[in-house]
Amino acid sequence: MTMPGFRVIRPSSVDEAVRVLADNGPEAMVIAGGTDVVPNLQMRLFAPRVLVDIKGIGELRGITCNDRVGLRMGALTTLTEIAEWKFVERCFPVLGSAVRSVAGPLQRNMGTIGGNLCLETRCLWYNQSEFWRQSLGGCLKKQGDVCHVAPGGQRCWAVWSGDSAPALLTVEAELEIAGPGGRRRIPLAEFYRNDGMNRIALGRGELVVAVHVPVSSAFRRGVYRKLRVRDSIDYPLAGVAVAMKVDGQGICRAARVALAAVNPAPQLVHAAAERLEGKRYSAELVEEIAHEAIRTAKPLTTSASTPVYRRDMVRLFTRRALEELWQTRRGNGEKRAG
Amino acid sequence: MTKELIRLKVNGETHELAIAPNKLLLDVLREDLGLTGSKRGCDDSSCGCCTVLIDGMPMLSCVALATSYQDAEITTVEGLARDGELDPVQEAFMSWGGAQCGFCTPGFLMTTHALLEKNPDPTLDQVREALASNICRCTGYTQIYESVLAAAQKIREKRKNEIAISK
Ligand SMILES: Cc1cc2nc3c(=O)[nH]c(=O)nc-3n(C[C@H](O)[C@H](O)[C@H](O)COP(=O)(O)OP(=O)(O)OC[C@H]3O[C@@H](n4cnc5c(N)ncnc54)[C@H](O)[C@@H]3O)c2cc1C
Repeated sequence: MTMPGFRVIRPSSVDEAVRVLADNGPEAMVIAGGTDVVPNLQMRLFAPRVLVDIKGIGELRGITCNDRVGLRMGALTTLTEIAEWKFVERCFPVLGSAVRSVAGPLQRNMGTIGGNLCLETRCLWYNQSEFWRQSLGGCLKKQGDVCHVAPGGQRCWAVWSGDSAPALLTVEAELEIAGPGGRRRIPLAEFYRNDGMNRIALGRGELVVAVHVPVSSAFRRGVYRKLRVRDSIDYPLAGVAVAMKVDGQGICRAARVALAAVNPAPQLVHAAAERLEGKRYSAELVEEIAHEAIRTAKPLTTSASTPVYRRDMVRLFTRRALEELWQTRRGNGEKRAG
Repeated sequence: MTKELIRLKVNGETHELAIAPNKLLLDVLREDLGLTGSKRGCDDSSCGCCTVLIDGMPMLSCVALATSYQDAEITTVEGLARDGELDPVQEAFMSWGGAQCGFCTPGFLMTTHALLEKNPDPTLDQVREALASNICRCTGYTQIYESVLAAAQKIREKRKNEIAISK
């Protein structure tokens, strides 16, 4: 496949990037590592007139962490940098576990956390070449008026397929966003719209600057489990992130469960937080939360695997993750998630 | 499309080129610089055949816009051999049958080279992990892993000798 034509602008500061983005509106698109944008451009999924390459903006780089403000990761921090950050296993094991499961090592050397949190949603009927898509007359998300996943519906079900978002939801991350009106900070959970066509709450001229994680959610035990076709490289077909705090008596002091790749947004399983706090481990309780997880998950035929199997895996992963984190002292994930 | 004048540093040599802003690094290497070692193997950035080193890090040149990497040191497979002498990784791939049809080999060589620069004594698991983005359809990987471990040993021996000589 070939690249469409566009101009490239390389701003050197956040202010300049915001100005370029605001001036060009929907004609402009941010490119960071490019591991999502470039294949999508080649498939002609979008046709920006201007590509805004943010890689030259120093303020967007690097990880800082201290016990006053917690963790700050600049939007350009690569997934490899996060995976190799020396405190990730001790402070935020769920994050380490999730970023290590993204794509393969070469994509992680290029892919950034900002790009991972702003990833396009994916669908079997969308992530295809122009030729392939047009043979079906397109779909709701692109050049058509029918959803092949849920014909008759007016909603796009393309799936949230980023792995770090569910992990960051379990540690109450916030996004720092720059725009024409200045900076704002929002909880990550409010960033996602659960709409395959309009996935994130970024306005005209806005740019993700950094991800923040509060001190209060450090040191939670955590793990991310992921279903995919090839363990070495593929996008998730289902993903479950769990983070929890367990005291010396084995009582749960905080718990969050979040899902990827089974809805158009990464989603918290809200019942988990309420029902686990203050409780001791029991197999029934864990099974109850696993059941809540599959009530949150709404997988449809958006990928090469069946909805039934993906739901089953969500239940299994939730159960196993809770068992593992609660019953053993282990804080960190397995080398291979899933 | 209006071309842009860019400067690229590849294998230690600086080139001035007029290229279209949408041109990928892989295509600039192959078409403008005649460095055809890096390959395009897939259409969705999932095969690793186009791997080059960008400031020492193995990356996919098929998702890199050439204009974005003007300040970087780029190394392709053509830049691995020094003064007519093959890199230990290249020698090991030859001796251990690490290449069959050869199409994926440049990518494997680059990823392996970067791994062994960072860790000259990897375990088999670490090798598998590091090479997970590179796909080979011929070898079944066993000979590739053997080649990597053999190269690692060679590099360790070479370093030991160098230290002994400098003492
Ligand atoms: C073969 C293959 C397998 C993959 N597997 C996975 C996987 O398993 N899990 C997974 O999560 N991802 C996967 N990816 C996708 C991708 O590699 C990662 O998600 C990566 O982190 C994306 O980051 P990037 O910097 O390359 O994003 P880019 O491609 O540069 O950008 C992605 C999107 O985010 C926007 N964007 C980027 N930065 C910002 C910012 N600071 N502010 C506002 N918008 C921004 C872009 O406009 C674009 O819409 C895979 C990719 C490939 C090619």
